[in-house]
Amino acid sequence: MPEGGTYFGQYVTIGIFALVGVVLVLGTLQLAKLVAPNVPDTDKYTTYESGIDPIGSGWAQSNVRYYIFALLFVVFDVEAVFLFPWAIVFERFGTQAFVEMVIFIGILAIALLYAAKKKVLEWQ
Amino acid sequence: MNSPIDLHAITPELVLAGTACLVLIADLFLPEDGKWLAVPLSAAGLIGTLAAIVSLLGEHRITLDGSFEVNSFSLLFKGLFAIIGLFVLAISLDHFRDGKYYQGEYYFLMLCSLLGGFVIASSRDLISVFIAIELISIPAFVMTGLRKRDSRSNEAALKFFLFGVLSSAVMLYGMSLIYGFTGGLTNLGEISTALAGKADEPIVILSVFFIVVGFAFKISAVPFHFWAPDTYEGAPSPVAAFLSTSSKIGGFVGLLVLMYAAFPSVAEAWRPAFAALAILTMTVGNLIALRQRNIIRLLAYSGIAQSGYVLVTFALIDPNNLDVTRQAFQSALIYLAIYGVMDLGAFAAAVAFARKGGSYFIDDYSGLFQRNPALALMLAGFLISLAGAPPMAGMWAKLFVFLAALEAQSYILAIVMGINAVVAAWYYLAVVKRMFFEQPEAQEPVEVTNVLYAAMAVATVALLAFLPGINFLTEMVERSTPF
Amino acid sequence: MPITYLLILSSMLFSIGVYGVLARQNAVLILLSIELMLNAVNINLVAFSAMFGAEGVAGQVFALFIIAVAAAEVGVGLAIVILIFRNRSNVDVDEMSLMKW
Repeated sequence: MPEGGTYFGQYVTIGIFALVGVVLVLGTLQLAKLVAPNVPDTDKYTTYESGIDPIGSGWAQSNVRYYIFALLFVVFDVEAVFLFPWAIVFERFGTQAFVEMVIFIGILAIALLYAAKKKVLEWQ
Repeated sequence: MNSPIDLHAITPELVLAGTACLVLIADLFLPEDGKWLAVPLSAAGLIGTLAAIVSLLGEHRITLDGSFEVNSFSLLFKGLFAIIGLFVLAISLDHFRDGKYYQGEYYFLMLCSLLGGFVIASSRDLISVFIAIELISIPAFVMTGLRKRDSRSNEAALKFFLFGVLSSAVMLYGMSLIYGFTGGLTNLGEISTALAGKADEPIVILSVFFIVVGFAFKISAVPFHFWAPDTYEGAPSPVAAFLSTSSKIGGFVGLLVLMYAAFPSVAEAWRPAFAALAILTMTVGNLIALRQRNIIRLLAYSGIAQSGYVLVTFALIDPNNLDVTRQAFQSALIYLAIYGVMDLGAFAAAVAFARKGGSYFIDDYSGLFQRNPALALMLAGFLISLAGAPPMAGMWAKLFVFLAALEAQSYILAIVMGINAVVAAWYYLAVVKRMFFEQPEAQEPVEVTNVLYAAMAVATVALLAFLPGINFLTEMVERSTPF
Repeated sequence: MPITYLLILSSMLFSIGVYGVLARQNAVLILLSIELMLNAVNINLVAFSAMFGAEGVAGQVFALFIIAVAAAEVGVGLAIVILIFRNRSNVDVDEMSLMKW
């Protein structure tokens, strides 16, 4: 093993570990193939789905309503990010910062009110 | 750093943002047949904004740590955006009230997009330029797709959206490189100082190139124009009117701010690109416009060509010759202001004609003069103005750009512009000729609402009354200096 | 780590994004490619910002704004894509040719 003192030396260590990991996984899989008996038949080739016969395709469509929730979450999530830099300077700016953030959150609240009024927040 | 915000300087934006929120909330609580009340509410807000702009006239203020500047230039464009907003409200009222779709949301989105235009006119920082340009675009994507069940509207929205987002990404990449190259600057004035004498640095040329390409999409300059005609055709027509004026002028204002405030010191690097862009945009726009059969597409391509004339002014900037630069700058301002009014007028006439008794096909304009003389006369006025023929203001707009090109000794640009003006006159006057000298196929009169008549009449008077030197517009432009 | 590595990474991401936009037919994949381009920009900004130290705060602020705007854009974009899917049950951009010339 090379000296771990240099910056790139440490990467070599990681590389060796990664290599060992890959070889271990691939090796065991190959080993199983070598030693296991191979007797195929149709039942064994069907997809296993909790013991029930699989029906239809593997693609399942999720309800489009999830999309609205996901989007609302994403948008509000990234807006919340603005709270962090604000929190850092809050003490220095005092009331001014407070008022600004109230306005910011007020506008977000209007968006939420809009979503609520359009009945996208409830699951019918 | 703890500088108080100059609240007076941002009153127009505050009033507009407040109005937008109010419109959205009001829409939630209005009954279905009262939704159109969003229009008077928005109009009142826009008039309030105009009052706030007037209260700032003649002022020069810088606030928000130098990223927001109020001066004649920004006030001029804020006023123009507010007036465009009022016009579009007038065009939209009946179209959306009868169409019964998403009225409150539409007016809210329109006000938001206008707010983007307001902010970009005052932005003096890469970040606020970016935010403003996105504020112009994102509501516009939604407005384009407002007719949810119409495949054309969907398709228009998707094309507009993909091109719009792609252009922002390209523009942002350029901005990030500029930020890195200048050592962490985002203020446009400081960037200009830092870039002095760096015109032959490949990285500077590359990043300015990226930014220009991003904006070329927004203003639909050839070869980045593919989305524009499809989007205008598929969108509800008042939205097309809005896109071809407010959205496009917003893009130009962003370009003016960046080119005159951030990159004048490296003008040698990007001037030739603008010359090529201008020549291509004028020529291709006009040539394709020649064979259009739908009035909205005709206006879309003619709008592309009109962008070309404004792009000419960017090719004239010369940091060593302040007189020429100022003349180029001022001719761009005059062109944009006049273009906004005449293009909106033409769109208003097209919407009015298609509403009752007509269609968007140019063939159906035959003999319009016999069916509705007032509409035919005003539409003819707008088309003549777009063609740049006297006595309308469009002539002065073209003349100023032309004179600036001569002053800068860019004779090739001037000649190309002259040829294009002749080509353009051909297809504009073809519509005029059809309206006046051909027999109508349908006989029923074309009905136009009073609101539309009023809007078109105001636009006509404004275009007729423009005389350089003795009006408010030229006074404002005179006072606007290139930063 | 030298800044060059990060710039190369971001330029590669950007190029992959451009390739995706030009080569893909599915609107959702085009949207993803555009997100790649925006993230390339973010990497650029944050890398420069880290290099400049305390002077470079603006870069991080810029990146925050880009993230927020990108989320809004994705919201609008996916809404448009879903509309199209409802009306014609695929989102292949090559088939969007109702309007030409």
